[in-house]
Amino acid sequence: MSGRAPRQEEGESAKLRRKEELSRRIKEQKVVVDELSNLKKNRKVYRQQPNSNIFFLVDRTETLSQCKNTLDELKKAHQEMENSEKAKIKK
Amino acid sequence: MEGPGGASPLSPALVGRLRQEHEKVVTSCQEKIQHWKKVESDYEALQERLRTLPDKLSYDIMVPFGPLAFMPGKLVHTNEVTVLLGDNWFSKCSAKQAVGLVEHRKKHVRKALDDLQKVMKNFESRVEFTEDLQKMSDAAGDFVDIREEIEDDSIETKGKYRTAHKPHSKPKVSNAFEVDFPANGSDTKSMGRFQSEEELWARLEELERQEEIHGELDRMPDTVETNGEDTTSSEEEKDDKRTDLNGTYRAEDCITQGNFHKEVTNSDLFGVQVNGSTYYHSDDEDDIDVGDNSVPTIFFSHTVEPKRVRINTGKNTTLKFSEKKEEAKRKRKNSNGNGHATPELPNIKTPADIYRVFVDVVNGEYVPRKSILKSRSRENSVCSDTSENSAAEFDDRRGVQRSISCDEATQSDNSEGILEEEEEEGQQELPKKLPPSSGTTEAFSGTVIEKEPLSPSLIPHPVIAHPVLPTILERKSEEVLSEASEETTKRISKFKAARMQQTN
Repeated sequence: MSGRAPRQEEGESAKLRRKEELSRRIKEQKVVVDELSNLKKNRKVYRQQPNSNIFFLVDRTETLSQCKNTLDELKKAHQEMENSEKAKIKK
Repeated sequence: MEGPGGASPLSPALVGRLRQEHEKVVTSCQEKIQHWKKVESDYEALQERLRTLPDKLSYDIMVPFGPLAFMPGKLVHTNEVTVLLGDNWFSKCSAKQAVGLVEHRKKHVRKALDDLQKVMKNFESRVEFTEDLQKMSDAAGDFVDIREEIEDDSIETKGKYRTAHKPHSKPKVSNAFEVDFPANGSDTKSMGRFQSEEELWARLEELERQEEIHGELDRMPDTVETNGEDTTSSEEEKDDKRTDLNGTYRAEDCITQGNFHKEVTNSDLFGVQVNGSTYYHSDDEDDIDVGDNSVPTIFFSHTVEPKRVRINTGKNTTLKFSEKKEEAKRKRKNSNGNGHATPELPNIKTPADIYRVFVDVVNGEYVPRKSILKSRSRENSVCSDTSENSAAEFDDRRGVQRSISCDEATQSDNSEGILEEEEEEGQQELPKKLPPSSGTTEAFSGTVIEKEPLSPSLIPHPVIAHPVLPTILERKSEEVLSEASEETTKRISKFKAARMQQTN
């Protein structure tokens, strides 16, 4: 048991990190979705090109749907993690 | 971690440390991996953008004005892409080519990622290994290191530490008599030794008794310079027994040369009676009573008792003056003719003969000369022969500044410190006192004056002999004499004074 503990610790720490990251991203996505949903119709939405300062104009609705999808995915992942953990704990 | 401080060569601390290091590596790898993953994702996105870019002629964008401001604008020439190749080199290419470039870069990123992954895995495995190792050490089940720590260093030496004597110090000599058996190679005295031992023991007892009885006499300043040992140790011929002269003899020895042999002890030598028993020679003070009856003593005909006189030597040692010496000197003076070392060329069959050759004969007595090797403060070994002439001078010289060392004990402690007994003997003028004596007063007349008859003026002063070369001895002695004469009253040696008194 003593030998396994450290490994588990490592895994657990990683999992924890992942969990935290997931939860953080989930939050962000929620915010985005909310913001997008609360935009006026005439507003333009720009998406930033990763790792640069260029913003491309995008359609608001499409963007909103995309963000929602992302959020859902994140939520799913999170759920899965929790489920796996619970399963491990149970085991 | 878990590991109790076992006796394993891999101490738990070390193992834990190792593990921590491994884990550090792992985490760093993970960070790098994350970074590269982000880069890869960026490239992915770029590729996507590039693929869709030529679809439209222009795009509405927000153009960055500096770091914080933006301006709405349009992106035109969507198919022209300027690619940074590195080192501020750019290449203009189409979107598709740009895509190709991006792909190439992604490839590179993937490679980096893979490497990092491998490293991470490797170190993770190491971590596991160290964990297992720690587990094993902790287990302490099958094998255990047996360690025993040595606490102190007491085991190092076998015995006591032996401290070396100081370089020039003489080994400690017990108060017990030491029988310095003669180192005579010539005369094998093995037999004699045995005899002497027995005799010595007997003698010891006697002496002890005597000492008890005549405590005072014994206690007189009899410290004799170590010459005694030299004298005795050196060629002792003759007797197997060590008839070492005690104080009186010693003084003689000192005064005389180191060659003072037992021969001297022979009763004939100095015309004194010597008790048959043997004296033990000890380096220390003379433990032996000379003055007593049963003890072998030398009684001078001219004196009632042998007296011990302490002579202060320049070296803070005292010599015992022996009556004998005085007498010898006196005799010398009288005889005077014998002052010289008797030319003894004749047969030398035994060491004793040699001794005799270098001995001044005084009225038939052999007064040993002082060894030239003996430390005489500036004493002249040569002078001895010329004793007669100088003897008189020496006698005069004596007195005031005479630091009687063993060497100088030749009584003529001139400032020059010469004067061997021979000289003195030859001089036999010894008993002169400086002041009353001849005009050419000697700093040290060479005679040792006994203590008892001492007059206050006779107190020997530990005078340091002047560093005068022996050759120049006479002259300087004269000079000194002149000087000494001034001080004669004060400095006359007690020995001399005594002698003078006696003579007077």
